[in-house]
Amino acid sequence: MAVNFDDIKIGDAIPLYTSGPITCTHLVRYAGASGDFNPLHHDQSFAKMIGLDNIIAHGMLIMGIAGEAVTAWVENKYLRKLSVRFLGMTEPVNWNDIENTKGRATITVSGIVVKKYEENGEKRIHCSIVAKDALGSRKLDGFFIVALP
Amino acid sequence: MADKSKVGLEFPTYTITVEKNKIAEFAMAVALKQHKEEINPIYYDDAGAKKAGYHGITVPPTFMTSFAFWTGQGLPEIVNALGINMNKLLHSEEEYEYLGNIYEGDTITRKMKVAEMFERGKRGKVGRFAEVTILETEVTNQRGELVAKVRTTIMEK
Repeated sequence: MAVNFDDIKIGDAIPLYTSGPITCTHLVRYAGASGDFNPLHHDQSFAKMIGLDNIIAHGMLIMGIAGEAVTAWVENKYLRKLSVRFLGMTEPVNWNDIENTKGRATITVSGIVVKKYEENGEKRIHCSIVAKDALGSRKLDGFFIVALP
Repeated sequence: MADKSKVGLEFPTYTITVEKNKIAEFAMAVALKQHKEEINPIYYDDAGAKKAGYHGITVPPTFMTSFAFWTGQGLPEIVNALGINMNKLLHSEEEYEYLGNIYEGDTITRKMKVAEMFERGKRGKVGRFAEVTILETEVTNQRGELVAKVRTTIMEK
């Protein structure tokens, strides 16, 4: 369903987006796609060497998921700005303990319409955005701006 | 430790052609999908993209991050030029301003410079102190149109 400027009210929530649980395979796929081969994101022995318990997801993968959440609601071509601060690390699912690790690897993205205004001859809305895991731990926050018909 | 004399430093410009399969690969990666049929057709199907009002296959919102890794020497080039210790590096913020669309087949030039370097917190206080570097990148297409501006904040803890 198309989103129209006139139908949007300040304080409206954007549709909640929930990703599937992130696995090590997803991190490898993202590494190859983005070109970010920092071993921190795929090599367990490297992660241990620098003092982490586990490999962690790329922050930019979480931002990519946030981008998916936004463009699942408003078309890509309407996006004018996407801005985030990275707040926390995300560990992938451990296949030996799926029940207890699924929540930490599942990303939910929510947001609120903060402002409606006109700029550059366009009707724009400014929305806050936050990504958390299913346990409530914050991964990133920030905002996005879209121009709406 | 970050070398503050590097404020204003301009990195070499790099050029890359936006490849169709690379777009689909990236779109699948951020959607956590294994098959392109599961993602938005604007990222793999020319006819579908045109039907949705695009000039052709376009890119996901964070796709530009791949230009930084697939051109030049990627992150190591940045940290070496700035004198930052890679093992203490944190990517703390990322901002994309979209001024136009990027399409399959575009030849993209990225031009990055060091916009700001400053200290945050008190030196000697563990956990709080950080040296912050803000990088600004201009992304233009083959027609010289500025299609995006990127602001990347990295910290050395």
